[in-house]
Amino acid sequence: MIDRKTARLIALAGLLIFISTIMVLLARQFNLAPERPSPAFRTFGPESAKVSIYEYTDFACPACRHAALTVEELMKVYGPAIRISFKHYPLSGIHPWSADAAAYADCAGEQGKFREYGALLFENQEKWGQAKSAPPEFADYARKLGLDWTRMQACAASPEARRRVALDVSEADLRGVNATPTFFVNGKRAVGPGQLLEQARNFDNLLKGGKQ
Amino acid sequence: MNPGSDKKEIIGLLARLIVGGVFIYAGVVKALAPVEEFAYAIESYQVINAKLSLWSAYLMPWIELWAGLLLAAGVFTRLSALFNGAMLVFFELLLGQAWLRGLPVTSCGCFGSTGSNSIGHEFLQNIVLLALTALAFRYAGLWSADRLVEKP
Repeated sequence: MIDRKTARLIALAGLLIFISTIMVLLARQFNLAPERPSPAFRTFGPESAKVSIYEYTDFACPACRHAALTVEELMKVYGPAIRISFKHYPLSGIHPWSADAAAYADCAGEQGKFREYGALLFENQEKWGQAKSAPPEFADYARKLGLDWTRMQACAASPEARRRVALDVSEADLRGVNATPTFFVNGKRAVGPGQLLEQARNFDNLLKGGKQ
Repeated sequence: MNPGSDKKEIIGLLARLIVGGVFIYAGVVKALAPVEEFAYAIESYQVINAKLSLWSAYLMPWIELWAGLLLAAGVFTRLSALFNGAMLVFFELLLGQAWLRGLPVTSCGCFGSTGSNSIGHEFLQNIVLLALTALAFRYAGLWSADRLVEKP
């Protein structure tokens, strides 16, 4: 038999748990989630694809480099069933050159080589990621890919290129993105390659259907 | 009540509020953030798979919030202190195995996924919290709900 004191404490514990749960659940409602299409040079796969993936990425983040391999693999396996759009989320607090890398990648994209330039940035991220001064690698990769470096420099310094990156960051903040890589697979959030594969499995029927 | 035990009770109260407050903060920050981000932090400890990490991430913030709240308010204080202490020991084991295995844990997930101290820092911080939990367990009564409901 529960004594009077214990019964009161159980009731109080229940009340505290109930009130705190309601308050946190109410606070959660303030998360906003707009969606803005990525520029065409950052989008791959047909518009009719059954599964649309948005990836918020940072070229200096090691987990994003690993995730890039998973994304490549998914695109190979499911082909036209997937449409992937890249969004920038440079973690400038810990990766000082990420925002510049994002702008340069976009400018390489304007010359038709976003993925190739991005692949080089990922591959060599430990060379430029924590550089003390402006990394010469950005120019090296451009030349390696036969891109017009002078044009890229002008482009990356332009307000439009910076604005594009800043808009992606603001959008990510509004969607509650705090970590990279974050994916939205048909609107469902996944963080990291493990969760991306889990989500892909959830959409397996759609993916297989779209492939045929 | 003699001045010596008075001082101990105040220390116990402070310890209770600090440990409870830390757990409430950790719980709220994670409960408000997207669950997938905390799940990703859990995954990085390489103890459970992605699916189980997601379930753990759904559950853990609420447990932390409720356990912290009960300890801070002094509801079943000694039991709450024991439970919070057990959670801290569990976190220490997770951090310790990641430390020993040299896992690339970039965010411990302790207070959400934004910003994180090194594993070593978090490990030491938890030891301090464990010591405070022991004090809260030993000298728990002052301004607690337990004592309040004793009054007629």
